[in-house]
Amino acid sequence: MTDLIANYVPSLSTYSADIDGLIILIAWLVGFWYVLCNIVFFYFIFRYRAKPGVPTSYVTGEEKELKRWITIPHLLVLVCDLFIIYGAVRVWVDVKQTLPETPYATVRVISQQWAWSFVHPGADGKLDTADDIKTVDDLHIVKDKPYIYELMARDVLHDFSVPVFRLKQDAIPGRTIKGWFQATATGVYDIQCAEICGIGHGVMAGRIHISTEEQHAAWIAENTPAAALADMPQADTPNPKALAAR
Amino acid sequence: MALRTKLAAFLAALVANLSFAAIAVAEQGVPDLENGAELFQLCAQCHGEDGSGNKLFLAPAIAGLDDWYVEMQLNEFRTGLRGLHFDDIAGMRMRPMSITLRTDADIKDVTAYVAQLPKTIPAKTLDGNADAGKALYTLCGACHGPTAQGIAAMKAPALSNLNDWYLVEQLTKFKMGIRGTRPGDPYGVLMGPSSPMAVTLKTDQSVRDVVAYIVTLAPSSDQPTN
Repeated sequence: MTDLIANYVPSLSTYSADIDGLIILIAWLVGFWYVLCNIVFFYFIFRYRAKPGVPTSYVTGEEKELKRWITIPHLLVLVCDLFIIYGAVRVWVDVKQTLPETPYATVRVISQQWAWSFVHPGADGKLDTADDIKTVDDLHIVKDKPYIYELMARDVLHDFSVPVFRLKQDAIPGRTIKGWFQATATGVYDIQCAEICGIGHGVMAGRIHISTEEQHAAWIAENTPAAALADMPQADTPNPKALAAR
Repeated sequence: MALRTKLAAFLAALVANLSFAAIAVAEQGVPDLENGAELFQLCAQCHGEDGSGNKLFLAPAIAGLDDWYVEMQLNEFRTGLRGLHFDDIAGMRMRPMSITLRTDADIKDVTAYVAQLPKTIPAKTLDGNADAGKALYTLCGACHGPTAQGIAAMKAPALSNLNDWYLVEQLTKFKMGIRGTRPGDPYGVLMGPSSPMAVTLKTDQSVRDVVAYIVTLAPSSDQPTN
């Protein structure tokens, strides 16, 4: 069923299918009531259309047999709401309230008018060390590994949006917001800003590069700052197996 | 078909092709200022309608800058030679703007529009010793000219009508390797961390001094701004 959305935007994170499922659930429930209401509505228009010699009845809304047309659907809609609330809370807790206990790595995502900056851990797997790799507009991660992101904003409100992950998180100046994702396929996909942030908002685009561990290790080896390599001789040939063990 | 007929057809086609090529060259050679003015509306959001710049938006004065220099910088932003360094916050604001210029013709049009704007004299915002800066500027003058008017043959832009805060920022970026260090930027390297400029302007004070001197070189006939 979630293919209804995935056919248009690939579903490439461990939680994207859950979010699609929630959207589809809401669409079906709301759609069912919308269609039913319209059928009843147009039936009544036809059934009680003006007829010669038949006076218009005055409805006060107090008659029990008429009020049932409001109260019963109302209760049924509330029952549907329970399903939606249950599904929404379940997905919300999983996506927004729970961080992976053993993340593969943490990446820092910094938004500004109108670019994305990223800080990746180097071969040591830790942020804020000499071998950190800083990029603009290009985020590099490994497939099938849970990542935590630290989201910041340098100037105004932005929103870190990765459509293929169904990830959307506001970035707020002065705050560091943590979240997570785990990609399920390799490739290069869009990052976009989903919060109006000024005249360049529409062109504030980045790319997320999802690679295998071997490809990512090669990328780290290629992009580790020269100064870090000089300071840490053991880090100049990152071992993919060591990275995989993290 | 007779040989004479074939030859005539060939010559006619050749003349037609050459004519179209000549028209195309002429069209490329003459920038469309009307289109440039329209495209400049986006630039004006930060640089101002008169191109006098706005420090709040990290946007320098660009009015009257040489067309070759504006074109070169827009192309550098578009290709990522500039504006893709992690610490170049202002450059990162400019890069996506440059990408909105889709064609080379658009760049030439907006460049021509910027170049014909009357030059402005930005307000002074920094303190520095212009007398000390004059001696330091001797090296700069070799490429940028004795009055900082720029020398196109050296690919050295005019400096005299730029904002003092912008000049300090750019010199600092060059010294720190934030600008001009990407492969494929032969002119940026000339200002890079190991350039004579970086060796001469070792301290922050020397940078402020030389900038204090440069801004005195703006022709008094240009329009002062607040």
